[in-house]
Order: sequence, then C-alpha cells, then structure tokens
Amino acid sequence: MRNNSFALKAVNITKKFPETIANEGINFFLEKGEIHALLGENGAGKTTFMNILYGIYMPTEGEIYINNKKVDIKSPLDAINLGIGMIHQHFMLVDSLTVLENVILGLKNQGFVVDKKKIEKRLKEISELYALDVSPDAKIWQLSVGEQQKVEIIKVLFRGADILILDEPTAVLRPQETEPLFDILRKMKNDGKSIIFITHKLDEVMAVADKISVLRKGKLIETVDKSQTTKESLAEMMVGRAVLFDFYKKDKHNKENLLEIHNVSVDSESGIRVVDNVTLNVKKGEILGIAGISGNGQQELVQAVVGFRKVKNGKVVFDGLDITNKSVRFITQKGINYIPADRVGMGLAPNLSCVDNAIMRNYYKKKMSSNFILNYKKAVEYTIKIVDMFNVAVADIFKPIKLLSGGNMQKLLFARELLENPKLLIASYPTRGLDLISTEFVRKQMLKVRDEDMSVILISEDLDEILSISDRIAVMHRGSIVGVVDAKNVDKNTIGLMMGGDRLKDE
Amino acid sequence: MLYFEKRKSVSKGLKISIPLVSLIIGVLFGALAIAIVGINPYDVYKSLFLSAFGSWYVFSETLVSATPLLLITAGLILVFKMGVWNIGAYGQYIMGAIFSSYFAIFLPPDTSKPLMLLLMFFGGLIGGAIWAIIPAILKVFWEVNEVITTLLLNYIALYVLKFLMYGSWRNPTSYGFPLSKPFPDSAQLPIIFSHTRITLGFVFAVIAVLLIWFLISKTKFGYEVRVIGDNPTAAKYAGINVNKNIIIAMAISGALAGLAGMVQVSGIIHFLQVKINANYGYTSIIVAWISYLNPVMCFITSVLFGGLESGGYSIQISMRVSYGIVGLIESIALFSIVGAQIFLNYKLRWRK
Repeated sequence: MRNNSFALKAVNITKKFPETIANEGINFFLEKGEIHALLGENGAGKTTFMNILYGIYMPTEGEIYINNKKVDIKSPLDAINLGIGMIHQHFMLVDSLTVLENVILGLKNQGFVVDKKKIEKRLKEISELYALDVSPDAKIWQLSVGEQQKVEIIKVLFRGADILILDEPTAVLRPQETEPLFDILRKMKNDGKSIIFITHKLDEVMAVADKISVLRKGKLIETVDKSQTTKESLAEMMVGRAVLFDFYKKDKHNKENLLEIHNVSVDSESGIRVVDNVTLNVKKGEILGIAGISGNGQQELVQAVVGFRKVKNGKVVFDGLDITNKSVRFITQKGINYIPADRVGMGLAPNLSCVDNAIMRNYYKKKMSSNFILNYKKAVEYTIKIVDMFNVAVADIFKPIKLLSGGNMQKLLFARELLENPKLLIASYPTRGLDLISTEFVRKQMLKVRDEDMSVILISEDLDEILSISDRIAVMHRGSIVGVVDAKNVDKNTIGLMMGGDRLKDE
Repeated sequence: MLYFEKRKSVSKGLKISIPLVSLIIGVLFGALAIAIVGINPYDVYKSLFLSAFGSWYVFSETLVSATPLLLITAGLILVFKMGVWNIGAYGQYIMGAIFSSYFAIFLPPDTSKPLMLLLMFFGGLIGGAIWAIIPAILKVFWEVNEVITTLLLNYIALYVLKFLMYGSWRNPTSYGFPLSKPFPDSAQLPIIFSHTRITLGFVFAVIAVLLIWFLISKTKFGYEVRVIGDNPTAAKYAGINVNKNIIIAMAISGALAGLAGMVQVSGIIHFLQVKINANYGYTSIIVAWISYLNPVMCFITSVLFGGLESGGYSIQISMRVSYGIVGLIESIALFSIVGAQIFLNYKLRWRK
C-alpha cells in the first residue's frame, strides 16, 4: 500500500440518532486515484456515511482527514471547498436551463457579470478530458438520463472536486449506459481523482471498483481488494450468510391462455398515448416478464388491465371473461392482484396502521366483516398471520406503516396480495429497494406460486431478475411491444438492445 | 443555527401537552393585549372562567353554546378525515335552519309537537345535506375545488336567508325588523334540565358525536374514509368507490351542520332571523382540528370553546369590555394552538 497517499481518511466515525446508531466506528481510507466501492444493503448506513463526508450530518464521534489534514466538514459548502463533490441519485438540475447555465448556477465568486465565454471554454476542456460529451447549449429536458448524469459530473468537476462521491449512479441508467459511465470513472481515476462509488449491485462492483468496503448494520465489515474477492463472498459479507443467485425453475409447458390483451391502447392523464396497440398473452402457470426502461408504458398497461386506468381501444379478456374497463374491485374479485411500483404512493396508506394496510384487499369480505361493521379483531389476527408468515419486522402493528423499512413494507404488501390467492399476480418492480434476503425471498415466492399454476406478470428493470425468473419476456419500448422472447434462449445484451427499441431481426 | 427536524412518531403525552402549553402561551399573550387596553388581565380571565364554568347555570349556558359546535364538528371530523375540506358548515347550518323553520312558520301552530319537531328535524338534516352535496358533486364529477365552492355557498345561503327575512317570511307585525313570526310552542325543542336552556338538541349532539366515532372506528365505511383520507390513490387501487364515499360523507357532514341550525332556531332563538349564530360553522373547523379529528376529544374542545363563547358574552357586561377583547383572546389562543401544531410533526433543534 502506498503510504501517505490517502485522499480521504475517515477514522472511527460514529453517528448516533435518537433511535438508532447509523454508523459505528467506521474506518474508511480512500487512496488517491482509486475507485472505492461502498457496498451495502439498504439501511446498512451507506447514505448516512456519505452525508457525513458531504457535511450534511456531523458525526457524533470520529475524525476526517483530507490529504492527511484534519478537517471539520460542517456543511456541503465546506465539502465543496475541500474538493469533495457529490453526485446524487436524483439530479439537482434545472430542466429549463441549458447545460452551461446549470454549471454556472452553483458557482461562487463570479462577480456581477458572468464571463460565459471563459466558463464555456473550461467546460469544453473538462468534457474532452473525460469524454463527457454534452453540448453546453442543450437544455436539460432535451437530454437523456445518462447525459443528465454527465452534466452532474461536469458540475462537480467544475468546482474543482478531487474526491467524487456517486450515490447509486447506475440506478437510473439503461444497461447500455452503464459501461460508458464506468469508462468515465476510469478516466477520472487515471487522472488522479478519487472516487467513492455507492451501490448494492455486486456485478457493478466487480466491473469497476479497485477496492471494496462492505457495510452491514452500520459497521464496516471489511475492506478488500477486488482481485482478492468474489461476488459470492461479497454477498455473504453484505448479508451475513450465503445468498442464492440462481434459481431452479421446473420445466413446464403451458398452452392455455389466462389473460389475453388484444390491441390495447391507453392514454396518460394528459391525453398522450402511452400504450399503443399492445397485444399480449399470459399463459396459465407462467411468469411473463415485461422488460423495459421505466416510463415506456409498462405501468400504464398493467394498470389498465387491473381497472385502474381506462382502456382506450382494445379488449382485455381474463379467464374467458371480458374485463375491459371493469371496476378495480370487480377485477380483483375475479382473481387478479397487483403489486404497484409505487408502494407508498399507491399500494399503502402510509399514515395508517399496519393492520389497516394489511386488510386493504379483504376488509369487505365475509371473513372480515358483516354488512356494515368491520371486525377489527379478525383484522388484527390476519395482520399477525401475515407478519409471522412473511417475517415482516414490525415493532407495533398499530403504529403507522410508514415507520417500517422499505423492505418490510414491501413484504407486507406482497403478502397481502399473494394471500388473496389470485389466478394472476401482477408485480411491478417487486424487489426494487429490497435487501438481498428479501429479494431472494420475493423471487422464491413468485417461483413457488408459478409451480402452483398461478400466473405472474413481472415488470422489472433488473435484467438479471427478469432473466432468472421469467418463462417468457416481453420487451416494451415507447408504449409498444418490441418483441416477446423465450427466457431460455436470450441473453442480457439482446434484451438490452430491445429495450432501446431494436426489433429482433429474425422475428 | 436553529432548525426543524421531522419527528418520526408522536407520543400521546406530546399530543396533549403541546396544545396545553400553547394555550397557556396564548393566554399570556392575550393578557398582554388586555393590559395594553388598561384592564387587569387577571380580573378578565378570572371573570371569563367564572362566567363559563363558575356555577351550574353558567355551565349550562356553556353547554348550550357547545351543542351546535358538537353537532357541526362531528360532521367535519368525518369529512376532514377523508381529506375533503368542507368550509361550508356556515351555509349548511343556515340552510338547515331555513328548511326546518319552514314547518314552524307555515304549518298550523296546533300541529302535534312530535310531528312538527320530526318534520323540522328532517328539514334541518336535508337542508344542510343538500348544501353539502352540491359541492361534493361538483368535486367528484368536475374536479371543482370544494374549498372554494363550499365557501361561496356560505354567502349564497346567507343571502337566501336575508332574502326570506326581508321578504315573504318576514313577520308582518315585526315593525320592519327582519324576523319571522315566533315559533309556536309545538316547534320548540323541549328543555331537558329545568331552569336552563339545554334542550333535546344537546342529546342529538352527544348522539351525533358517538355515531361519528362509531362510523369511523368500527365500520367498513369508516375504514374506507380513513384510507381515502390518507391516500386517495391507494383507496382507488384497493377498489374503494372514492366518489360515492365523498358524496355520502359530505351529505352526513352537511346534515349535521343543518341539524345544528335547526337546534339553534328551534331550541334557543324560537324564530328565524338573519343573525342565527352561523359563525359556529367556522369555529367548528378549528374545534375539529384542535381535537385532532378525534370524536372523543371533540367533547372536551367543544365545551372549552362553548365556555369561551358564553363566558365572553357575559364579561362584556360584567367587565364592561368590548366584545372585541373577547374576540382577541379567542383569536390569540387559536393562533397559538394552531401554530403550535408544527411542533407535533417537527422538533426544534440547535446546530452549530
């Protein structure tokens, strides 16, 4: 190890909150010119630690050294002045301004008149140096997500950052955009910049990081060189036990259609066509994956199927019954349950108790209530059953559900829909934001119900998930189905290309 | 630097102590205002308290003022729980009073008392309900904001009342005053405690609050109301008929406000006039909030506000202060209680 070349040293960092200890005795050393991945599940304390480095939180204990000098980072401004730049997961850009204007926005000491020419020249230098090719005059809203991310990186570099913190930078990107981002990171590394890369995706860590620190439950478990570790051992460090990556799928041959979507079109609230003439079938006992970059009509399509949105044209037939534009309740009672992508926004009532949320699908049914009165005793029993069966970590089922972690909320929601024993389960991003154990659990459950001849529509951006679980995969792009492929005979790259709109040649 | 930090959860103790502490602060500020006018604040407060709670008789007057507050607040709690902002209790109260007064004024005075009161009872309910269903329908089918429609309907109700009082419903022998003819005995709610003005209306009020408590916490409808109130999208997703529930809840809320109007004209005023204390409709909005939309809490808050109302009237006379001072005390108290609500969700912290 090259001594004295630490860009950043965080020694014995502890951060206590009234209810929890988010970070405990973390020793983190970042060398100059390295990409250091900070790996951990949700709630492991990654974000807290980053916020400490960026001056949003002050550590309860511990010291931070930048270039071997002890520093006190009291605010993001301090952090910027010390050469620390943060690229947030959600971009901090003004949509209606140009790239150049966005770069100027945060600059200090510009005087009254801004020398645009000078800034533009510097911006071009930075762009060329790191292959961050975006036009300075383009408006932000015209740019793709990947390009917007580049603007964020430029902004940070422009302010003279030598240490870059990227918070789950690939979460918003298409698979094709990930590799170019990694190239940029490597270029910056070769130029002597130090990069902290926060993620929970193991493949990415293995692809780009030099060193990896694993956080679990607020503690830094271990820092390892990439060359001396494997994906499996990292996962074990993250979770505390071995994790299953490949699932065994029974071979099944299903012929009979359970759901038939005939030429369905759906419009958004503002009247724009978001699903255009889609025809799709789901067979009995199969898992149909719908792949696509989010916002390409997947949500709207399934929401139209479950009655949440109007079908503009076309027909939806379920189990031999026309369910086009029937009410949500009618369709659920016929046997379709839906796990929405937006859990807190759509699937749950966050301020109501776990009990109230657990019974959302069956409070009106005979077992839960008479004509008018709701039997809360039964509701509580039912909630306890769900919590026990699905290992939902909950302190008090009468407290608002928003107090649960994202993973536990998802488990409760997933359980609630699954226990209705639907014929078809539609799951939108069921594992998004879940930790590895919960993810594994949810995937296993979907495979289990498939074996019981339940059908599943799985919407996901995670290609590994789609490929490992689905029987067939439909790819959506701009509201249309680009193609439907057999999951056994397709690779990630092909699906990735289809997600970008490329049709299969031999179809 | 001082800054606000969001609380994760709110303890029961906090829920009670925050409004209490803020009420005390409000009282202190009120004292300051009274002192500026040159009156001894201690005397005013003491007199105010004694005039509201000092004897059985003054307390009975407090309950008389609390009666319409209880009725209206019960209904408001229901709609506020579902996130529908009915600001129109004022107008619904007036319409309830008008509808029920129709029978008192135009039926023969010797109509049997039970029949007369029954007609007036339903008149009040229906009058208020109609005035609340109109904005509910506008909201549900045309997405018209109910805050605006309910508020504007208040003015329409007031002018309908004025129109009647200066027009065809005016008592020809009232020397031009905008009053109806007095209600016959058959149209007056019976008094349930002798030597007080507490009428059967108080019983209606208690039943209404209990009914709303039962609806919200024990029934399917109440469950749906709570889900809609917390997350309308989730409600729709769960297959709840949001529109139907909004109309039903608004109708209930309006009906109870209308009943309050009926109880006031039939039980207390005994004729219809322009001034029928419709301001209870606005006060109840605050009562509902200070009760944390909890029907049981609203018993306490309604009585407190009833006391402020009735005590305030008395001290005008006994202390020779203008009603403006009473209004001032009331407003400052409200301001601090409502303002302190932020501390329920946030705590103040100090950071270097």
